[in-house]
Amino acid sequence: MISVSGVRKSFGAATVLNGVDLEIRQGEVVSVLGSSGSGKSTLIRCINGLEKIDAGKITVDGFDVSKPRELSEARKRSGTVFQLFNLYPHMTAVQNIALAPVEVLKVPRRQAEDEARELLRSVGLSERAEAYPSQLSGGQRQRVGICRALAMKPSYLLLDEVTSALDPEMTSEVLSILAALAKTGTTMVFVTHEIEFARSISTRIAFLDKGQLIADLPTAEFFSDKGMALPRVAQFLSKMRKD
Amino acid sequence: MRYGDFTPFDIVLLLQGLGVSLALFVSTTLIGLVIGTIWAVIRFYRVPVLTQIVTFVAELLKNSPVLVQLFLVFFGLPAFFKINVTPTEAAVITLSGNSAAFIYVIAVSAIESVGKDQLEAARVFGLTRWQILRRVIAPQAAAFAIGPLTGLLVNQLQVTSLISVIGVMDLTKVGNILNLRTLKPFIVWTAVGALYYLTAKLVAYAGGRFEKRLRAHTAWRGL
Ligand SMILES: Nc1ncnc2c1ncn2[C@@H]1O[C@H](COP(=O)(O)OP(=O)(O)OP(=O)(O)O)[C@@H](O)[C@H]1O
Ligand SMILES: [Mg+2]
Repeated sequence: MISVSGVRKSFGAATVLNGVDLEIRQGEVVSVLGSSGSGKSTLIRCINGLEKIDAGKITVDGFDVSKPRELSEARKRSGTVFQLFNLYPHMTAVQNIALAPVEVLKVPRRQAEDEARELLRSVGLSERAEAYPSQLSGGQRQRVGICRALAMKPSYLLLDEVTSALDPEMTSEVLSILAALAKTGTTMVFVTHEIEFARSISTRIAFLDKGQLIADLPTAEFFSDKGMALPRVAQFLSKMRKD
Repeated sequence: MRYGDFTPFDIVLLLQGLGVSLALFVSTTLIGLVIGTIWAVIRFYRVPVLTQIVTFVAELLKNSPVLVQLFLVFFGLPAFFKINVTPTEAAVITLSGNSAAFIYVIAVSAIESVGKDQLEAARVFGLTRWQILRRVIAPQAAAFAIGPLTGLLVNQLQVTSLISVIGVMDLTKVGNILNLRTLKPFIVWTAVGALYYLTAKLVAYAGGRFEKRLRAHTAWRGL
């Protein structure tokens, strides 16, 4: 379980997370929605330890991410997929995927690369296994990014707007992979602006507004009168649908 | 020996001088690479105190003439510490230090050239700082650094000629001797210059070849 409780985070004078509580259990797909600047990315970055929180507590399977010793354990349990892919440009797709298993989990290189090829096959990239990121399209890069996270066999996937740098065609190729992962019971925290997609794969929707979680509801309820009863949510949804 | 005569042996003399210059160049480059890289790693880890010392020393070495440094090592150290410093030792110490300082500067900017986003990716997947340095930063930093490094080394090769003033028998010193003996400066210095030129070209060529290999992954950029 990922447990976020009473988390506060400021950058200088700006409070970005203002007391956030959120729990993600195994098997859930939680979409985090909210307008630009509401703190979604910051929340993800606090969970994977890229940002230090000012107050509160975040644990991943009980490991406290603010304690350096426990952070490394927490990080073994969660895999992050980035908006801009963040691939290592000097490594091929296979090498990108195998790096962390080899270095962190001490998997023999041969085995790690075989597993990497298998993952690439599952996302339809068998032929591009030896390609460098610069030789891949955006959608292909993001599929490599997803494989790289999956290679660590994480209990949780953290995804921050993983399709927003992609054109519609590439977006759908990445989303179909995520939908397949959701179906197999992969636990995901999914920050997105793809409302309809979030609705189709999520078990729950968390809505951030100015650093506060103003809604945390099962998907069906969020998109029903219950969600719409919250003015900020109604406003957000109508605006997103117009775009 | 009479004035004015070149002998076949002069070729050997020139080649010996070239050998000395090359030996000094290669050894001080290697020492400079090791030290400069270690300094850059110290800075990467932000080791307190040491980082400041390294930055300060590199600044001193970069901003004072090599010749002055050479005199300080050759004449200053023996006078101050009452130790014996041979011309070769002084040459090795001075040129290594000087190369180290400039290599440090190149290494620091090469490390900083690596995109922060990949480093964040490596961190969240649990790689240690050392693993990130070795697997993610070093290969890309090397590809970045090889161009400036080649330029630096071509220059450092020429700088080795300064050591002739303290009596090291390098190529320039040999040229000096031949010049005094034959009084044919044009021929002597043309020959010496040509040897430096060819060696410099060789260094540049090797650097270029190496760069191509290190940058294999960027050859496709733009597709
Ligand atoms: N490193 C930082 N330094 C200073 N301010 C920051 C930093 N990171 C984020 N912020 C600020 O924190 C606020 C929340 O940023 P965050 O990236 O979490 O928003 P978001 O919900 O992900 O927005 P978007 O939908 O545009 O991605 C923004 O106002 C942003 O400017
Ligand atoms: Mg964001």
